[in-house]
Amino acid sequence: MTASSRGGPRHHGTRWAYLVAGALVVVATYAYLVIARPASLHHGGAGSAALLALAGYLVGSVLIIAGAMSRLPTSTVALLPVAIAVNLVVGQIVNVTGIPLYLDSIGTVLVGVLAGPAAGAATGALADVIWGITVNPSAMPFAVTAAVIGLLAGVAARFGAFRRLWTALPAGLVTGVVAAIVSAPIGAFVYGNANASAGRSGLAAAFQAYGNGLLKSATLQGLVSDPLDKTLSFLIVFLLLAALPPRFRQRFPFARRFAVFGHRTGLVDRDAEATTGACELAEKG
Amino acid sequence: MTVGFYQHRESSVHRLNPLTKLTLAVAVVIAAFAVPLTWWPAALFLVVLVPAVLAARVPARFAALTVKFVGPLLVAVFLVQGLFFPGEGAELARLGPISVKAEGLAFAAQTATRLLVLIGAFLFLLLTTHPGVLMNAMVQRGLPPNISYVVSATLQIVPAFRERAQHILRAQQARGMATGGGLRRRIGVLLPLIGPLALGALTEVEERAVAMEARAFGATGRRTSLMPVPDTTAQRLARWGLAAFAAATIVANALGVFA
Repeated sequence: MTASSRGGPRHHGTRWAYLVAGALVVVATYAYLVIARPASLHHGGAGSAALLALAGYLVGSVLIIAGAMSRLPTSTVALLPVAIAVNLVVGQIVNVTGIPLYLDSIGTVLVGVLAGPAAGAATGALADVIWGITVNPSAMPFAVTAAVIGLLAGVAARFGAFRRLWTALPAGLVTGVVAAIVSAPIGAFVYGNANASAGRSGLAAAFQAYGNGLLKSATLQGLVSDPLDKTLSFLIVFLLLAALPPRFRQRFPFARRFAVFGHRTGLVDRDAEATTGACELAEKG
Repeated sequence: MTVGFYQHRESSVHRLNPLTKLTLAVAVVIAAFAVPLTWWPAALFLVVLVPAVLAARVPARFAALTVKFVGPLLVAVFLVQGLFFPGEGAELARLGPISVKAEGLAFAAQTATRLLVLIGAFLFLLLTTHPGVLMNAMVQRGLPPNISYVVSATLQIVPAFRERAQHILRAQQARGMATGGGLRRRIGVLLPLIGPLALGALTEVEERAVAMEARAFGATGRRTSLMPVPDTTAQRLARWGLAAFAAATIVANALGVFA
């Protein structure tokens, strides 16, 4: 039907190679900054840390985008602009209304659940770049965080977390924790724990005043806001998907293949093989 | 209706190849972060970015946006690191949990000026370069066309989306939904907005995908460009020079020249 069925296993291989390489670069950057701690913070130490965080995360997100976007089926590519626009518009409205949350990754989570981890990662990273182009350039260094959110949403859906609400919410919580950890080096070393939001800056300052280091304070500050934000985002996406017609949800090969929404697609028969078989028949017919 | 920061002017900077401006922005950012001398990022800002913005004839907009985006960060970084710097170092003053350290002030100054360069460099690029032209130039250099499609299509549908969000908000208000009030109330308002917004847009996706497939969107092979972006040898050399400059600052940092 689309490029997914045409793409041979070889292309699939390179795609995951890029994605894994990107993820490894990000993990290596983080590990180096935490474990090796380039000197102390005095004189130039934080300078190298900022450059490393910025460069490592930039290379990581470029690799992730390159890997994720290669050989994406057209039905998914068509979904991405809509999802990113949802991110942008909802994120901006939340920003304006003064709610102390971001809620700027609803489209990212949606794509991750419907089209898989790779598509989710690409949506997140590109949404961040577009947020930088249109709303605020200072968002761009956080592209990796957005990619990780989409990736984890896809992984959660892959293992069936979106079949029920009580598994979707903890998945959101875990995603928020990982997002806080991943974004901490950028917040600490590049932004010096400064944030355009007075509340977040104040929180980081409080953690520093209690004797925590730069990175630890950034992580703790993220852990206060991110898990709640992502749990809420996962909840909203769960409700949105429940409101979508089953025909739409089952249009995505990823959602069908891994039975993201369970095997209850309007058929009485709950047997897995019978149901997926019926779905494929319906698809062909 | 446009989104983004692009300002149309007749200037030599606007006519430059977008890749030259992108290279300049990235090289300046790398240089600012690679050299740990406190005065260095400020010097880059004044010597490279300010003249470039003046030549592009967008100084007023650049100044306004820089103040808007960097201003709050600048204040925050001096408050957070100037008063609560976690490292050791000589204390200049102390009052309860507040302790002013020379290291903290130096770190704050360095971070603030680096942010000035980081955000200023991208503002320079975005003010003088239309995103569509930038994408066009990058596709000609091998960027996968589907990435360019996602960026360009998003920039086109965002204004329509904003309008739709406004319509939905007004419709919900007309039905008696209160938009003010406490935190829980304001979050509660979001759901009746996000629902129709996302669901309405998602139903259009299938038609778009079919239309794209019918126009060979998924086709492999090299594509020609409808509007080739002009480039010159001088600019090509300038890009190599900028890349070399950025690489040199990183090498100097790695060798410990500034330690």
